[in-house]
Amino acid sequence: MNQWINESGIDRVLRVIIGIVLLALGWGGVVTGGWGVFLKIIGFVPLITGLVGFCPAYALLKIRTNKA
Amino acid sequence: MNQSQLHEKLTSRSHPVIVEFWAPWCVPCRAMAPALEQTAREFSGRVELLRINADEHPDLLRDLRIFGIPTLLVMVDGKEIYRRTGALSGGDLQAIFASALAGERPAPTLRPADRFLRGGAGMALLVLALALPSQPLLLALAGGALLFSAVYDRCPVYRAVSAWIRGRIS
Repeated sequence: MNQWINESGIDRVLRVIIGIVLLALGWGGVVTGGWGVFLKIIGFVPLITGLVGFCPAYALLKIRTNKA
Repeated sequence: MNQSQLHEKLTSRSHPVIVEFWAPWCVPCRAMAPALEQTAREFSGRVELLRINADEHPDLLRDLRIFGIPTLLVMVDGKEIYRRTGALSGGDLQAIFASALAGERPAPTLRPADRFLRGGAGMALLVLALALPSQPLLLALAGGALLFSAVYDRCPVYRAVSAWIRGRIS
């Protein structure tokens, strides 16, 4: 019952999947150049926020997908 | 009651005491109450539960630096060994009472869903790192770290090292 978790279960799973896909695209060389570097870094954002369960952007915008 | 009166009350007890700070208007407190009372009954005679209404003792909360409720303080021999703020599940409460009985801090626990998510993500990153021709070390390290974070609470080496560090700090 952690109140700081503002993401629902599905939200977290989707974020982890999207993060891994973005990292695969960046690190796998599918996307190269500047965009590739961008994906290599930005992929960690949804991955980490999904694993932790807390999204700072949600907190700023007062959004909660976790209704508990 | 002030802090020294509470301390006097607690040091006179021969067994561990769990002090709960609550309030009638606090929704998480009310949500946790049935599980807390059930756990207190199970540990009756071995661990005592002391409930303090936060509205009636604001000075005590200030002295103890309690900024949210519900808060549980685990007191052994009059000394605070652990505190936790927020509503807890029955399982978490059982772990806290059991650790109070043992006179030690409760070991960190992960929910199964969190464990699964971390383990799955860690495995995926490790497989990705190994499958790529460049075998990026950063991805492999991130995957390994994530995989460890899924099971760290069960790692005896982690427990020993963290207990040693806490012993050095306190």
